[in-house]
Amino acid sequence: MNTMIIEQEFEYVKPGSLFEALDILAQTNNVKIYAGGTDLIVKLKTSGINMDAMMDINGIPELSELTASGGNGLVIGSAVKLSRIEKHPAVKSNYSALFEALMSMASVSVRNMGTLGGNLANASPAADTAGPVICYKGILELMSRSGIREVPAEDFFISSGVSAIRPDELLTRIKLPAVNKNTGAKFIKTGRVKSDIAKVSFTVVIEREGSKIKSCRAAAGSAAAKPVYLRTVSESLKGRIMTRELITETVDRIAGIIEPIDDQRTTAEYRKELIKVIAADAFSKAWSLSGGKLI
Amino acid sequence: MQILSDSLIGAVTPRTDAPAKAAGRIQFTSDINIPGMMYGAILRSPHPHAEIVSIDTSAAEAMGAVCLTYEDINPVLYNERSVSIPSATYRDRTVLPKKARHCGEPVATVAADTQELAFKALKELKVTYNILEPVFDPMEAMKDGAPELYDTIYLGDEAVKIHNNIGVIRNIDEGDCDAGFKAADRIFEHHFELERIYHCQLETKGAVCKPEPDGSITVWATAQSIHANRQLLGRILGLPLSKINVKKLPFGGSFGSSIQVNTVTPICASLAMKAGRPVKLITSREEDFYDHHKYPAIFDVKLGVSNDGRLTAAHVKAVVDFGAHQIQPMAFLGCTAGWFASLYKYDGNIRFDGIAVYTNKTPCCAMQGYGNPQINFAIESMVDIICEEMGFDPIDFRLKNYRGPGEEFWGQGPTIRSIIKSSGVEESLVEGREVFGFDERTAPSSKNGDIRRGIGLARGFHTSGTAGPKEGEVIDYSSATIKINEDGSVDLITPVTDHGGGTCDALKKIAAEVLQVPLEMIGLSPAETMNTGYDVCTHATRGVYCGGAAVYHVAMKVKDKLLETAGRLMAEHAYNLEVIRDDRLGQGVVQVKGYPLKKMTVGEIARQAQIMSWGTIAYTDSYRQRNCPPCFTTHFVEAEVNLKTGVISIPRVLIYGDCGTAVNPDLVKGQLIGSFNRGLGYTLYERLAYDGRGRLTNSGLMTDYKMPTISEMPSVEDIDVRICHTYEPSGPFGAKGIGEAALASVQAAIANAVYNAIGIRFFKLPITPEAVLKELKKKARER
Repeated sequence: MNTMIIEQEFEYVKPGSLFEALDILAQTNNVKIYAGGTDLIVKLKTSGINMDAMMDINGIPELSELTASGGNGLVIGSAVKLSRIEKHPAVKSNYSALFEALMSMASVSVRNMGTLGGNLANASPAADTAGPVICYKGILELMSRSGIREVPAEDFFISSGVSAIRPDELLTRIKLPAVNKNTGAKFIKTGRVKSDIAKVSFTVVIEREGSKIKSCRAAAGSAAAKPVYLRTVSESLKGRIMTRELITETVDRIAGIIEPIDDQRTTAEYRKELIKVIAADAFSKAWSLSGGKLI
Repeated sequence: MQILSDSLIGAVTPRTDAPAKAAGRIQFTSDINIPGMMYGAILRSPHPHAEIVSIDTSAAEAMGAVCLTYEDINPVLYNERSVSIPSATYRDRTVLPKKARHCGEPVATVAADTQELAFKALKELKVTYNILEPVFDPMEAMKDGAPELYDTIYLGDEAVKIHNNIGVIRNIDEGDCDAGFKAADRIFEHHFELERIYHCQLETKGAVCKPEPDGSITVWATAQSIHANRQLLGRILGLPLSKINVKKLPFGGSFGSSIQVNTVTPICASLAMKAGRPVKLITSREEDFYDHHKYPAIFDVKLGVSNDGRLTAAHVKAVVDFGAHQIQPMAFLGCTAGWFASLYKYDGNIRFDGIAVYTNKTPCCAMQGYGNPQINFAIESMVDIICEEMGFDPIDFRLKNYRGPGEEFWGQGPTIRSIIKSSGVEESLVEGREVFGFDERTAPSSKNGDIRRGIGLARGFHTSGTAGPKEGEVIDYSSATIKINEDGSVDLITPVTDHGGGTCDALKKIAAEVLQVPLEMIGLSPAETMNTGYDVCTHATRGVYCGGAAVYHVAMKVKDKLLETAGRLMAEHAYNLEVIRDDRLGQGVVQVKGYPLKKMTVGEIARQAQIMSWGTIAYTDSYRQRNCPPCFTTHFVEAEVNLKTGVISIPRVLIYGDCGTAVNPDLVKGQLIGSFNRGLGYTLYERLAYDGRGRLTNSGLMTDYKMPTISEMPSVEDIDVRICHTYEPSGPFGAKGIGEAALASVQAAIANAVYNAIGIRFFKLPITPEAVLKELKKKARER
């Protein structure tokens, strides 16, 4: 390992248009996408990467766009820097769990470089934005010369470091649909220190109807080989009256479902304990943010 | 040594190097670039223990690289650390080894025209290893039949056979421990374990070495002592010292990591001499992680206590796993014994049994405290246990038992001792009790809820320098040159290095105060080994106390010469003259005592002396302190423990620092706050773990070596730092040190506060959330 210089030889390309980028992907083997470089360059130095070319997507105008869509929805280009997203007023007001995830990530300097597209496409089980994007029903737009695919975020992650992106595809945009009224959301993460990759993270977005849960989406990070949408748990909560007992019962179920591992950051055992605490906290806070009262 | 009311000493003055540092305009070693320079890179052992059978450098050389292996080096056996006298220094290493003894140990090195080529050439080196069985655990290493790292090493000039990997045994016995324990009403025994942690100084180690046309060599290197570097390079390169010039550079902190000559420096120098060209060799962070660690320690502590609250005897058994090379574990054991012996009186009955063991791990070197934070954690935790179990007030107990004024303090092991003359212990404990509301703390059993708070305290110290009235195992003196320029400004030339704590600023202030010139009129000259006298090293919290004393001594001599010269010019006797600072003139002024109308500025005097061809008003000398006064600290800590997550946070802290006169109070407070942060890391977060194959589990990357930042600190308004009102009679203007003392008692104070919060005693560091939850569960099961 040598972090002083990058010894590996590769082509560096910086297309100026989306078409050019897709052409490069179609014609070149082993292209790695450079958006912010906060994961790619580190990997290049520490473990080496099988790569013939590095394609810098920062010259493609469409990918650096951050626009409001119908209702209060949002479309985020895959090369938009994390710090730009966190400063967008709609993110803080409508997608508070995403905002919290962004603010929990690394340091200001890393957020000035890193991108949402990169955080997702890197497909780390610990990706902080994955949970919020899943829970807000985010759609990932994958483009290639053969066309456009729209993949729901919960289906995007396959395993550690592996996503649904095919070799000739580029993650172009992340679409977050409008958020309904009476919705509350919470992202909670625990690291070793504040600026850290998660020991475990939890996201929940709850839409409330009176004292009942109209819909709920929950996701866990650093809790399995990929960021996981807790589908059965989420769906089983639909129509239930929110109570403290329900939360306790739910977080116990979640601790039973997740499949964490021992690693540098903590142990599987601790992760199972911790997720109960942060999930319970997230459920009650999200419920309260949705305007609900906990009984 | 009186302090005038408008004194610079004690005034808050901005750091003179701060603007340039903040703007990135200061040149560190890595900023040195020389035309025609080559770039070096080091091949490091992937094996924890392996004999190097051969190294084939032909392919690398064919690429144009200059290579250096064990075959090329001068096989001088040395210890990188040279602050101890030669007869108390074990020597076990060469520039490059014939046998690799830890993962990451330099095995060979190359230099090439570009850094890229150097790294490519490195890959072409073919090393044939004979892989040997490694040993990582110190207890395993001491067993018969364990793999042996060494056969013979040297203590001074005497060959020493190594048995069972035991590098050093150091036993100290004073008073009558057996009688002391017999006299005790209660005996307390506990086992403590402290892990290896990493210095994480900002600057990774590096060197630039330039062979000169006259056969000499110029060296820019990360160094805490330029003279130690010069002397070692002289032995290794076989050159007279007059042909080796080591430049003093600013450097990015140390925490002790460059007290010794850095491993890379002789490698770089040897490489440059072989290449006949300048070579720059800068190491990466992950290389640095394999270069040096803090000493871990395993302690078994036994304390005897009488029913009236007196410690009657103390026995510490210490086992230290110091890794693959000796960077003076002998001195480390001696110092650890000294910190232990100097904390309390124990009726004079002290026993210390220390063993330091070789293992196939990164060598350990001094890190802020040299055993002090380690043993302080054990003793100050024990004192808390004793007070809890025997019903003593923790503050009264400490006041009754601590070693204070009139008693002996061991400044650097058993051979360096002096009598304590100043102490802020009482002030800090008595005032701190009120300020922090210590008496309002409640018993752990009376607390409930998922979030619990507790209050704890611990006291500690460190030495200021390593000099006693009698010479001992450690060398300690410093040097200075001061000259008055013809405009009244002053040049100060000092070999003392500044780790970033503002040491050199303090030295400037001391010179300015003695000579009564404005601070802006003092210039800090570039210094190198060729134009300075010897200074042992900026270590042992000695920069201001010892380096400052040398500056004070020389400045007083210069002042004498100044007054003498002024006397000749003014037709007055020197003893009838005084020098005072005139801020309006921006100069020092010499005047007749009590008759300010008859005066000359310092500039006029120096200028006249030049015109009359009398010479420069200047002086050079060395100076040795004859005391090693302790600088005391006390930490009051509030800890908050989340019983559901095990996470510990620190809502509030009160820190007392006793540095004698604070030359710059803001910098003293900065050291105390910064060190609290480091102690927080040591206590709650940091740990260097090995994977069983001799590799660090974090691979040397910061990503998985978490240190607390400002986010983990109490908020600014909840950090109360107070400087004790003391004056050290032997220090320059009453000053002693603070740097290492600032860390000593942080660990125990936090652990004691955690105990007060949840009733669980931690005997191992770090106290991670995982460890807290485990202990909470264990406690719940026991109920």
